Amino acid sequence: MHNVTAAVVHILPGVAAAGRVIWNLPKNILILLLMAYRKVISPLYGQVCRFFPSCSAYALEAITVHGAVKGSWLAARRLARCHPWNAGGVDHVPAGHRRWPENRTPRIVVLNNPDKYLAAQTDGEGRAAA
Amino acid sequence: MDFFETIMFPFKWLVSVIMVGFHEGLTVIGLPAANGWTWTLSIIGLVLVIRAALIPVFVKQIKAQRGMQLLQPDLKKLQDKYKGKTDQLSRQAMAQEQMAMYKKHGTNPFSACLPMLIQMPFFFALFQVLSGISSAKTQGKGIGAMSQEQVIQFDESSIFGAPLSSALLHGGATNVSVVVLSIVMILAMTASQFITQKQIMAKNMSEEAMASPFMRQQKMMLYILPVVFGVGGINFPIGVLIYWTTTNLWTMAQQFFVIRRMPTPGSPAAKALAERRAAKGLPALPILGGKKADAEAEAAAAAAVIEQKGQRVQPQRKNRKKK
Repeated sequence: MHNVTAAVVHILPGVAAAGRVIWNLPKNILILLLMAYRKVISPLYGQVCRFFPSCSAYALEAITVHGAVKGSWLAARRLARCHPWNAGGVDHVPAGHRRWPENRTPRIVVLNNPDKYLAAQTDGEGRAAA
Repeated sequence: MDFFETIMFPFKWLVSVIMVGFHEGLTVIGLPAANGWTWTLSIIGLVLVIRAALIPVFVKQIKAQRGMQLLQPDLKKLQDKYKGKTDQLSRQAMAQEQMAMYKKHGTNPFSACLPMLIQMPFFFALFQVLSGISSAKTQGKGIGAMSQEQVIQFDESSIFGAPLSSALLHGGATNVSVVVLSIVMILAMTASQFITQKQIMAKNMSEEAMASPFMRQQKMMLYILPVVFGVGGINFPIGVLIYWTTTNLWTMAQQFFVIRRMPTPGSPAAKALAERRAAKGLPALPILGGKKADAEAEAAAAAAVIEQKGQRVQPQRKNRKKK
């Protein structure tokens, strides 16, 4: 009896990890596709987007922050906005509920919010100097 | 029918209906229906329709680029603010401020993502239609709006002895005409792309744009695209190559027109246009031409307008005197 519970306790973290991998799979597949697009196809066209962050950067952040379903929905709505009769401008991804440990913020989130993270960066440098 | 085919179906139908429409029209005016040249002209007609539909987007972009002259001083200020800050985050911050500035002035030099994205399924549909002809023929089916007879007709038609549905690498290597025509079109596409790109770089870029990192990408394209054309050119059927070459030629012609008639402010082409207009005794276009001299002229013009407005107040005084 005791052995069985021990075994279950041993197996559970493995199951949980596998569950998380499967749960995050759609999100991670989309992230990989977007990264590949941004690396390979996007440079062929040069910049066409009328917004900051660009549509692909927006999509990447939205899916990172909000997950595959809501992120895709947000990205699709942004694409629908990116037409020649829209003035464009700055249009950030709405804040999400996902939190990251300090210094582990996804790169795309940092790059898409330069105001916030540039201030934090110079702050850190100031403290290091002092 | 799987998910992907369901999405592509309406695009395939639209592409084929335009092509068949041109084919019908051309046969009505007396061209032989089964001739390869009639089908070639139908493909060219399809290119014309798609590119003409995109003209408003293009004109919008050109107008926005002309409007850029007005925010040149603000842009300069922004560049000075970020001078020497080459880390990625600072560059992002600069890009963000720049976008905010475009919005504030209501002029944005970029063409937007949606028009580019919409073109993709059309090109893909065209590719599926043209390259699917042979297999549709053997399966005894039609494609989109093309009937079985039209599929057979297309499959059997040829120009210069090269069947429209044959590709160099897929059974066409034994036919000298296919090999020669494929290579000629690959060279034509590469040449037109080189000329277009060189024209833009040499004549239609302001000095600021020439110095930007964006230029590196543009230069890379100069060498990547010919490879893409080459690989595509030996794999794709002649019909697809006709479409591709025509689109490229359209782009080149459009660029020639723009450089001559609506050049980017501050570029050598703009100076050339200003000189041509001066030689003809025409007044200079205020939005084109040099940078500093132009800003001064604009300031003078603005001052003149203010003066005029001041003078226009006078009739009111006369009215008052009458009372």
